[in-house]
Amino acid sequence: MDENALRLALRKSVDEVLEKMFFAETLGEAPETGEVPPAEELSVELFFEGEPPGAMCLRLTVAAAHEIAADFLGVDAGSISDTQVSEVVCELANMVCGSVLSRAESAATFHLGVPRLIHPGVARENAFSNVSYCVQLSLGRLAVNIVTGTTICPRSVPSAY
Amino acid sequence: MAYRVLIVDDSPAMRTFVRRVIAMSGFEMSDCFEAANGLEALEVLRTEWVDAILTDINMPGMDGQEFLRRVSQDELLRSIPAIVISTDATAHRIESMTSLGARGYVTKPFLPETLRDELERTLGVPCG
Repeated sequence: MDENALRLALRKSVDEVLEKMFFAETLGEAPETGEVPPAEELSVELFFEGEPPGAMCLRLTVAAAHEIAADFLGVDAGSISDTQVSEVVCELANMVCGSVLSRAESAATFHLGVPRLIHPGVARENAFSNVSYCVQLSLGRLAVNIVTGTTICPRSVPSAY
Repeated sequence: MAYRVLIVDDSPAMRTFVRRVIAMSGFEMSDCFEAANGLEALEVLRTEWVDAILTDINMPGMDGQEFLRRVSQDELLRSIPAIVISTDATAHRIESMTSLGARGYVTKPFLPETLRDELERTLGVPCG
């Protein structure tokens, strides 16, 4: 898959999903640094089958996760549970990945795996490194990485569930 | 007239969101039922009549394809319009779900008015 096409699809998808489903406006592209301590981020991984197959990793700072979860569910950010935040972040990952693949996959169809919350700080083999997009939100940062064209075994990835 | 709607999705967050945006959109809904998969949805439909079904595709237990297949095979239930809500916007998937009996298809992400318009179109609600 052409990296530029995938990058464009990723940007459009993230911006559109945040705007339409989370009523959130991005404050511009953010630098991709690894400075955020793992304990202050929620990470979700999602594997997909298609042409080509691949995986997506979505990382969101905890404060931003609470903010967008509250917006999505229409509740006060202070009253939202960690379980609700996790469910919404997984749904966000599902929507972004499905939107990207609908734009970029060359095959007639694709299949998304179940989004899985990853324990913070867990070192993973096959670290994602292909195409990424990072945006600043009012209360934090959202970063999405997609790797395609490789076979990655989801069973090797620890899940928080 | 207000309508009774069944939302079928394995994500509690998504069910809450759909219920919320239906209310935001101005669509007149009197009752809303929820199910986490096709099996639960069929259980709901044994005891509750609904005017429209909104269903996801990928769900554990019984997915949206099998659920639509079962609904279309039931003499009573097949008249209920079903709308698929999915991230999969490929023509192949839309055709596949339509062939199983879906009368509408909304791809995520969507605006509240998009869902309302699709509900009103499938229910034959007069414009304006």
